Amino acid sequence: MRTALLLAAALFATASFAEDAATLEKSPPPAPYVQVSKALPLPEFIPGLGTLFVNPDTLPAGPFLAYDHDGKLSATIYMVPLEDLQGGKSFDGLAVGAPSVTSVDIYFNAGHAGVEKPHAHVVLFHDDGAKERLAK
Amino acid sequence: MSFSRRLVLALGGGALATLVSPGRPWAGTVETVEMRGTARGERIWFEPRGLAVSSGTTIRFLNHDPGNSHTATAYHPSVLDRLRRIPKAAAPWDSDFLLPGQSFEVTLTAPGVYDFYCQPHEPMGMVGRIVVGTPETPGWEGPSADTTDIAADSLAVFPAVADILAKGRIGGA
Repeated sequence: MRTALLLAAALFATASFAEDAATLEKSPPPAPYVQVSKALPLPEFIPGLGTLFVNPDTLPAGPFLAYDHDGKLSATIYMVPLEDLQGGKSFDGLAVGAPSVTSVDIYFNAGHAGVEKPHAHVVLFHDDGAKERLAK
Repeated sequence: MSFSRRLVLALGGGALATLVSPGRPWAGTVETVEMRGTARGERIWFEPRGLAVSSGTTIRFLNHDPGNSHTATAYHPSVLDRLRRIPKAAAPWDSDFLLPGQSFEVTLTAPGVYDFYCQPHEPMGMVGRIVVGTPETPGWEGPSADTTDIAADSLAVFPAVADILAKGRIGGA
């Protein structure tokens, strides 16, 4: 009986996640996500990151949803201030834009509108061609 | 898309009497200071970070960084309440955020040393210095001696006035 309940719960969770992922698959994602370039002085398409959407309540870490020129969700990005990490702050249980992750890039960024402090970009690419599509 | 905005600063007394030094842009010319950054934004800087010009030169700040927005902002109490690091006779300026390809122009007439910065990136050393005229120019005002309103790391990025005058242009990278 317990096993059956756990299985049912797992199936429900999977179905629910798939439904959420489907709504994020194409740009624009639903509210509370907002297009970053419409809220902040940043380019609409940022080379390497694509067209970004974020729920403002999750700043600075995100997730930022990154779409290619065709509006396909290509990456989920987190922006983590180094000062926060050094101060002992952690960022746990962050959402992911899509369940499939084919590769991850992590690198330093000196800061930009929205996340002014020096921070790390953690970029989760969702398919093999995503990085190339977001490049420019 | 590209657009530019122009601001002509208030003239100091006698500033129209242009002095031109060898190897220095003539009054009325336009010199470009680019905002640059690496592809992933690890480093950002003004190019050049040190520039010598003659009075009356227009400085065109151009955002050449494809992935970031920048400002060119004068150190002045009337702009974000910073201590003045431009000649007293000069009017301050603030380009506001410039997106890639956008530019902002300002004409510098009062002789002396002008320090400026990028608002979000000053802590990362994105600052620059323009020298108008020479110490022999009437009314010339040297660099600010203040070290309390700016981080030591950023202060270290400003080239020495003597070096700017000797070389004319000092790269930022």
